[in-house]
Amino acid sequence: MTPQVDSYRFLDTLSRRMVKSWIGLDKPQDIPWTPLRKPLEDCTVALISTAGIALKTDRPFDQEGERRNPWWGDPSYRVIPREATERDVRVYHLHINPSFAEQDLNCVLPLGRLSELEADSEIGHVADSHYSFMGFILRPQVLLEETTPAIIRGLQTEQVDVAILVPV
Amino acid sequence: MGLVQRQIEAAGISTIALSMIPDLTWSVGVPRLAAIEHPFGLTLGRPGDRDAQTAVLRAVLRALKEMQSPGSVTNLPFAWPESGGKSPYHPAEPPPIGKYLVRHPWLYPRLLARNIPEVAE
Repeated sequence: MTPQVDSYRFLDTLSRRMVKSWIGLDKPQDIPWTPLRKPLEDCTVALISTAGIALKTDRPFDQEGERRNPWWGDPSYRVIPREATERDVRVYHLHINPSFAEQDLNCVLPLGRLSELEADSEIGHVADSHYSFMGFILRPQVLLEETTPAIIRGLQTEQVDVAILVPV
Repeated sequence: MGLVQRQIEAAGISTIALSMIPDLTWSVGVPRLAAIEHPFGLTLGRPGDRDAQTAVLRAVLRALKEMQSPGSVTNLPFAWPESGGKSPYHPAEPPPIGKYLVRHPWLYPRLLARNIPEVAE
């Protein structure tokens, strides 16, 4: 039996207290469910990261806005094409050390590894588009009412079957 | 992130979270959750460690395939040998909210209660 993952091992004191407090705030509700309709070998897979990753050619995430008002976080998203590597991106999330992902994007957005699984036919296809937004959005209204529906439209357009969500 | 996942699943796409804070992700009610004890910024593994990254990704896909009911959780068997603590996993510059609350400690309960002000004092 695999031991249970310790959610608090790498958190600082402030974050530890915050997480413990927040866990009690959400009331249990019905959990949505979409069964896997076909074998993984036939599925198109997309990745979604909260690292705040943007192509260097794209608009940066607004770090200054969060520095001015720490209760705020940039709720927009960026598309990351499947062939992107660490050479093509910057990582804007202010709550993590971005240097690992900027050395090797696969640390947080494993596009290279996913492409290898595609080549080995372990999955059907790597989607053309993947998505990133900033973590630690304390007031998530815009994220949930504008950003997420836009991401969903993108996923549906590319007939994505499976989305792997990768927090950082 | 958990709320975003719920919306994507509800839109007809099968989702799984690879979470380093599974207690929090689980509390939101996500359909599938693979828990991993990795430091922040290193969700899949260390830079250049292809084998480890592939092993994590494969384990997530296997969990996705095997999970049959909403709210399923798998604890992934990847151990991180180093102890926690500060560097190198934390950003060089502390996050804005941390610095702000040092100067405005009376607002700390609002963060804990997720009763978030619109603008900073």
